[in-house]
Amino acid sequence: MYADYAYLIVALPVLAFLLCLFLGWHLPRGGGFITVLATFGALIVSLGIFSETYPDKIIHQSMPWFADFNVGILIDPLALVMLLMVTFVVTLIHIYGNGYMNGDPGAARYFAEAALFSASMLGLVYADNLLQLFIFWELVGLCSYLLIGFWYRKPSAAAAAKKAFLTTRVGDVLFLAGIILLYNNLAGLNLALKPGEYLLQFPVIYAHLTQIAPDQLTLIALGLLGGAIGKSGQFPLHVWLPDAMEGPTTVSAMIHAATMVTAGVYLVARMFPLFYAAPYGLTAVAAVGAFTALFAATMGLTSFDIKRVLAFSTVSQLGFMMAGLGVGAAVGTFAVGVSIFHLIGHSFFKALLFLCAGSVIHAVNTNDMREMGGVGKYMKWTMYTMLIGSLSLAGFPLFTGFFSKDEIIVIAYEYGTLINFLPYIFLVLAAILTAIYTFRMWFSVFTGKERSDYAKHESPWVMLGPLVILAVFALGFGIAAQEDFYSYLDSNFEHYDLDFAELGVIGGHVLEGEHGAPAAEGEQGAAAAKGAAGEGEAGGEEGPGEPWYIQILPIIVAIGGILTAALFYWDKVKKFDPSQVTGEKDPIRKMLLKGYYQHEIMTGWFAETVVYGTALICNTIDIKLVDGWLNWLSAWVMGFAQHVRKVQTGIIQNYVTALVLGVVVLVVVITLAMEVGLV
Amino acid sequence: MISNAISLLIAIPLLGAVVSFFAGTKAKFVALIASLIPLALSLQMYLEFDKTSKIMQFVESYNWVPSIGVKYTVGVDGIGFPLVLLSTIVSLLVIIYSWGETKKPNQYFALLLLNEVGVLGVFTSLDFFLFYIFWEIVLIPMFFLIGSWGGPRKDYAAIKFFIYTHVASLVMLLAIFALYFTYQMPDGSRTFDMLTLLAATADKTIFPTNMLNIIFAGLLLGFLVKMPAFPFHTWLPDAHVEAPTAGSVVLAALLLKMGGYGLFRVILPMLPHVDKAFVTIIAIIAVISIVYGAFMALAQKDIKKLVAYSSVSHMGFVTLGAVAFTWMSVTGAMFQQFSHGIITCVLFMSAGTIQHVVGTRVIADLGGLADRMPKFAVIMMAGFMASLGLPGMSGFVAEFMVLTGSFATLPAYTMIVVFLSIVTTAAYHLWAMQKAMFGPILKKYMNVHEPHAYELFSMAMIIVLSLIFGLQPGLITDIMGTAATQVMQPVMTLTQMGVI
Amino acid sequence: MIPLELYILLASTMFTIGLYGLVTQKNGVKLMMCIELLLNSANINLVAFSAYQPNVNGQVFALFSIALAAAEAGVGFAILIALYRLYGTIDLDNIKAMRW
Repeated sequence: MYADYAYLIVALPVLAFLLCLFLGWHLPRGGGFITVLATFGALIVSLGIFSETYPDKIIHQSMPWFADFNVGILIDPLALVMLLMVTFVVTLIHIYGNGYMNGDPGAARYFAEAALFSASMLGLVYADNLLQLFIFWELVGLCSYLLIGFWYRKPSAAAAAKKAFLTTRVGDVLFLAGIILLYNNLAGLNLALKPGEYLLQFPVIYAHLTQIAPDQLTLIALGLLGGAIGKSGQFPLHVWLPDAMEGPTTVSAMIHAATMVTAGVYLVARMFPLFYAAPYGLTAVAAVGAFTALFAATMGLTSFDIKRVLAFSTVSQLGFMMAGLGVGAAVGTFAVGVSIFHLIGHSFFKALLFLCAGSVIHAVNTNDMREMGGVGKYMKWTMYTMLIGSLSLAGFPLFTGFFSKDEIIVIAYEYGTLINFLPYIFLVLAAILTAIYTFRMWFSVFTGKERSDYAKHESPWVMLGPLVILAVFALGFGIAAQEDFYSYLDSNFEHYDLDFAELGVIGGHVLEGEHGAPAAEGEQGAAAAKGAAGEGEAGGEEGPGEPWYIQILPIIVAIGGILTAALFYWDKVKKFDPSQVTGEKDPIRKMLLKGYYQHEIMTGWFAETVVYGTALICNTIDIKLVDGWLNWLSAWVMGFAQHVRKVQTGIIQNYVTALVLGVVVLVVVITLAMEVGLV
Repeated sequence: MISNAISLLIAIPLLGAVVSFFAGTKAKFVALIASLIPLALSLQMYLEFDKTSKIMQFVESYNWVPSIGVKYTVGVDGIGFPLVLLSTIVSLLVIIYSWGETKKPNQYFALLLLNEVGVLGVFTSLDFFLFYIFWEIVLIPMFFLIGSWGGPRKDYAAIKFFIYTHVASLVMLLAIFALYFTYQMPDGSRTFDMLTLLAATADKTIFPTNMLNIIFAGLLLGFLVKMPAFPFHTWLPDAHVEAPTAGSVVLAALLLKMGGYGLFRVILPMLPHVDKAFVTIIAIIAVISIVYGAFMALAQKDIKKLVAYSSVSHMGFVTLGAVAFTWMSVTGAMFQQFSHGIITCVLFMSAGTIQHVVGTRVIADLGGLADRMPKFAVIMMAGFMASLGLPGMSGFVAEFMVLTGSFATLPAYTMIVVFLSIVTTAAYHLWAMQKAMFGPILKKYMNVHEPHAYELFSMAMIIVLSLIFGLQPGLITDIMGTAATQVMQPVMTLTQMGVI
Repeated sequence: MIPLELYILLASTMFTIGLYGLVTQKNGVKLMMCIELLLNSANINLVAFSAYQPNVNGQVFALFSIALAAAEAGVGFAILIALYRLYGTIDLDNIKAMRW
């Protein structure tokens, strides 16, 4: 019954968008409650659908749109967990936003845009075809542009919004190219589609993957990956994410936790069969993800802006998710479950962290951690909820992040034994850095002495309530749900007409047999972090599981990282001063502080010099050459006319002379002609 | 069923033009009525239009100058009808937008209506002679609009516009004469009938390839200059910059579409019979127009010039889709004509509004205007988003169809270039938005205020239209799809269709 | 009766003198006089031929021509007077407001 109302999941937030946009100005708090109600309604519908379909049903509705395309709803396990997560987290963020945006003159605009943002993300998640997904994907980009630039009077906000839109646009273009390539390949097959089937629908794509040439598959996969890289802030298109902090903190929370950045990971997960079938498809995903995880973590280490630290941490964690999908080359669809589990868990604790940071900023009125310190004394609730978030992010045992992140590291190890150890090494290093920068942040904000004069008060309950709820999930979600989650998501691709063994052959994945049917694996991955043990069994020849030191390594890494951070930044146990470790002139330190000179390269060199320079050259060509020849031609005509008109002297005597001479010549010519006999 | 619908469509604005010329300050009311009626008429035609039929509809044919085979033949199919609809919509909105015109309003509105007459005639004529007359009629009101109501360099711009496009038209006229004098009807007489002549170009015994190549090149030049495509585009920015806002809107939204219309109506049916090199040439011109237009827009300092170059870029998609010659790309290109026609209105209106509210269009001198005119900022933002191809608005559907369709026939590397231009397109739109509208409000603009309600209304209507056709493209792509199928096949004459 | 050739000779002489004056002279009044010479040489021809023909068409034309010449002289001298007032000279070389 709920399934009939699936469209409401998008329709309600869209309605809220329209109401807030046109009527919000007349409503208290900019009509924020409408947005909350809308997303909450979407959450109810999602839960209803969950109760109806769990564990083994999917919902697919579709209607024609134009030409060869359709609009439709596809709710399978993958989409459903995303729907639940997005509606849940976004509802909490909107509740929090009611407190956070209170008194802002643009509140109505904020809630309208936020509602549209939620609607776009939800539409993206349960789209049943790639074109529709792309449309909502772009709308998500638009909303992020609007929200990042929410305080448009600030030049930096306007610039950041533009940067976010343009950077993701680069990825989007690749995505679009991938879609078009895919469409043309499918169209070239001249499939006999049943009524109600359309070329770009996911089930149709899945069913015909084996008929597409492998090199085309790779190109398509790279195109889609380009889109995912842009949206999910992977290297080298991650540059927009830290700047995106210019928006209100709630926006950062939405972008970083629940909505925008997860879209890229979701896309790769959604198209996992295609990536799996494409030679080098997953290798590229793994490479990008693992590198980004480490790269962003190093930048998180050196930022002073609390929101930028969190932003880099998001980039890094997204790298983990990508790498988790990438190593699916070794473990099959199990990787989707692992990666999406991290995505969901991450959205809880990252939303929590951002909202905590927002709470702190709301009180302290600065983003700079160097001006905070000792905030914990005044904001107990914020401090402890943020501690839960930080522990979860750092991967402290029994917290959500521990289960999800460590699972990725473990399957990366398995990938290592089969194919290549590099992703594993990168991810472990990134995990250490994650623990360090997370607690560097926590210690610098909440412990120690006050380093500036700030307002000392706790945030209102409308803000703290969501924090507590999110903290509960950040704490307990992992331990409560991991097992069922894996088995639920493992069943995702069984609803479609595809055979992973066959796809693996196309993709060149040398697997030892059983990975074509990985459904059983998750069920055995019961014992907390031992998910990989089950995986190992399913992997057959691998033996009983990973060595014990691989299993506990993540725990050591997390605790070691936290301790290291404490030694540097917790005043009670402080042993080292971070500024003393390296000299001021150290080029590596300088490079880290400058963020690897990315701004200089991407904005300064590429955008301003190369692109704008090309534009200026074109302009010169246009003026001098393309328009120039025309002006030259008209100038030449004018010049010629200047000469010719001199014949007209204006002196009557000249005319008379010419006249007489003309008559004489005529007479002579005619006479001669008569003499000769011509006339 | 309205009889003589098309003749009425052409006659009413013509009558309106005459009346409003003598109506003095009441001219705007006359103009409003004289543009509302054609809109109502064309909407009624839309309802009556048979979307699946491949024959010409609403055909009227009368002898005009029988001794030389000139007839008054008008009719619409899927190529022409969407543009008729576009013309009536845009003409009405432009007249509403210009409601506050105080300088010689009687002439102003008369010229706008005359413009409507011209474009409607071009989109409906099925006789080359009539077609050419309307084609040239359009030049006159536009020349005066630029020349009398224009900016500081209006004389240069008006003359450049006139001479440039007129020279191209003359070349086109020569090509039309070549068609006329080569083809003889079975009874020995000659005809200007468009479809008959186009159908005859398929016959190698009448039109040998070498000869057809030259005729084709002449016609192509006429249309590409009007479009305008890459090396022939330089009249456009000058004309746009100097023209009054309404002139710019009509110029970009309707006059450029005449070139595209010619492409579909005349060029595509001949394309299979001429030298294959033409396909390459046109494709190169299209790709260069798209990319070059985008880069040029990025380099502009004047917001109106930026918009003008964006037209060059967007019209490149029409050329690209047409020459790619697949069903999808041709449909997309037709839709791009329609979509660009409505979207570009809001861009030029925005530029015009900024000009008269703030007093300058130089992007570097603007800043923070959103602070003082939030409603205008929202509408302008929506327009810019539509123009950069945001899904949900009509521009995306059109460009997506063109790209998808073109991918099948054109080499991949040309497509890569086009894809890169999409990013550039986004860049110049956002850059202009950011510089003009965002950031702190400049002190000197503290007193600016929202533009007049009629200006906001006409812009908002366009946004609504763009959304409607973006969310439900089938409303108009159904018609275009039938026409695209038709374009792929040999031309049927009116007699073969059985309509006369 | 005087032979026709003499009239023609007289007329051509007058015509040549007038033409010569027209080409060489710069003074406006002199030019007017030369034009009169040209016209009158034509008139002599008309009357002479008419006298040797059995009708008077030529003489009628001569009368027309004389009337025309009078009108022309009137307009011409009026222009010259206006020019003289404006420029203080009727030397046509010095009047070049509309020349390059």
